[in-house]
Amino acid sequence: MRQSKTLELRNISYAYGRIKALSGISLAVDRGPIGLLGPNGAGKSTLLRLLLGFLSIQEGEAKVMGYDIARETKRVRQIVGYMPEDESYIPGVDGVTLTALLGELSGMPRQEAMKRAHDVLFYVGLGESRYRLVDTYSKGMRQRLKLAQALVHDPQLVLLDEPTSGLDPQGREEILELIKDIAAHGVQVLVSSHILPDIEETCKEVIILNRGQVAAQGNLQQLKQLNFNLYELRLKGEPTRFLNRLQAEGCQVEKMEEGYWKLYLPSELSARLVFKLAVEEKVQIRHFLKSQSRLEDLFAQVVGEEE
Amino acid sequence: MTIRKKGYTHWEGELKESFLVWFPLTRLGIKLAFQRRFFRLFFFSSFLPALIFLAGIYISERLEDFRFMLKGSPPFLQITPNFFKIYLSSGLFLVLLVLMMIFVGSGLIADDLRFNALQLYFARPLRKIDYLVGKIATLSFFILLLSLVPGLLFILFKLLFAGNLVFLRTYPWLPLAVIGYSLLLTLFFAGYALALSALSRNSRYVSLMIFGIYIASDIVFGIFYQNFHHPYLALLSIKLNLQQVAAAIFGQKPFYQVPWELSLAILLGLMVGAYFILQRRIRSVEVVK
Repeated sequence: MRQSKTLELRNISYAYGRIKALSGISLAVDRGPIGLLGPNGAGKSTLLRLLLGFLSIQEGEAKVMGYDIARETKRVRQIVGYMPEDESYIPGVDGVTLTALLGELSGMPRQEAMKRAHDVLFYVGLGESRYRLVDTYSKGMRQRLKLAQALVHDPQLVLLDEPTSGLDPQGREEILELIKDIAAHGVQVLVSSHILPDIEETCKEVIILNRGQVAAQGNLQQLKQLNFNLYELRLKGEPTRFLNRLQAEGCQVEKMEEGYWKLYLPSELSARLVFKLAVEEKVQIRHFLKSQSRLEDLFAQVVGEEE
Repeated sequence: MTIRKKGYTHWEGELKESFLVWFPLTRLGIKLAFQRRFFRLFFFSSFLPALIFLAGIYISERLEDFRFMLKGSPPFLQITPNFFKIYLSSGLFLVLLVLMMIFVGSGLIADDLRFNALQLYFARPLRKIDYLVGKIATLSFFILLLSLVPGLLFILFKLLFAGNLVFLRTYPWLPLAVIGYSLLLTLFFAGYALALSALSRNSRYVSLMIFGIYIASDIVFGIFYQNFHHPYLALLSIKLNLQQVAAAIFGQKPFYQVPWELSLAILLGLMVGAYFILQRRIRSVEVVK
């Protein structure tokens, strides 16, 4: 196995006709699990399409596990497992046949693929249903089946597109446990999801895309600490001018319940500034609490900032 | 449902690249076809014409024994290249192939489009051409079983029943003609069925199209021919184009006074059209919506 970065993108751009989906994306991720976040239209799906070689790169260079996507597409597809977002299956076959077939298409010998298909189906919790036609599977079972087929050839990297979509809370928990277990066993994982707690629970690294560009990227814990400090405020008095001045200083303010505000204070600014401006604008701060920042806050901050 | 009874385990084997990467798709297509009981019935009954023709070959070598049943020697029992042309291009045989395409081919791509299976396939080291070869090979298996295999067996049994090689010495090119025409049938019908299968996500509509276009082309010919009696109108019919080319390949006079090369050009044109439809419909942008 090559000791390479999981992802290396250099100045990647892609446009559908005149619409730019990705614009000059450069990033490098050493180890996962990696979370890929972004609002609708941010370019997540396009990035996944490019990583799998479904779309040809128009500009720039990209490597997955050290293999060039444009020149070594076949090899990339051999070492990558892909769990698509939407329902995907081959009708008329049972779970084990489908999984084994896709293992065989990845380059596994037929008997090995069949043996491994049984193993991964047990692993994802479909052991008892492996001989049932996939047409009769529930939504949750199909979700597990998609995970099983992504793992059948023991990939070095799995791309999971909305892995918990449509699952009940227990199913979601189980899938997240599986993702953590897969990652703990040395398989690199990239999770694209709009469910932020899923990313927060499973990923160490995060890439936030917005409008086709990287809005933030790095270690999740560090990003949450370094980019900003989060405070909860309760104000008395007319806050409009005070809030405008905070925004002019580079802060982001979000209204919570009546009288309460969420303040994203850039890390280079001191909390003293808030009190100074409050004095100048004759606003009373009745409550000032440093809050524990969550991924949701980071997301809102970086995406909101871009917008 | 218990989960994670076993933790994640790595696979110790080595992934290999194979030039037969498409073969699992072919195997699956054949397996899925035989899973349908009605298809199995149709499949085995579609060999009845071949058995009747085989009986004809046997009788032709034992005319003396069967003279009490026959008046003279009907053309059916004259084993010449025309015998092969009749088997491989009769209206009934071509309809059998069309029905075979409906049973096996209508869902081959339509179902993959409908259930988003393309993204599962193309996330593997599988190229578009591998995917198409896998699908074409599925249809070829059935078409060749009905055309090439009986055609060659007829020659073999004719030699066995005759007990000499006179027939093959008289028509040494016949095996090549059987192979060539069977391949033309295979490429044409596989392209025809797959292109239509790629045009819809609903295999029922595809079935209607496969049957409808074939029959409609013949009906349109019939309507125009009744009014204008121009032999070139035969070019409108898929069936007649196949029969014209079959006549030429088996050294017979075509029924309609139209150059057989034109019929061949039309069939090749339809195959090229099918190729472009497949190229357009099996696109990477279809892979992830």
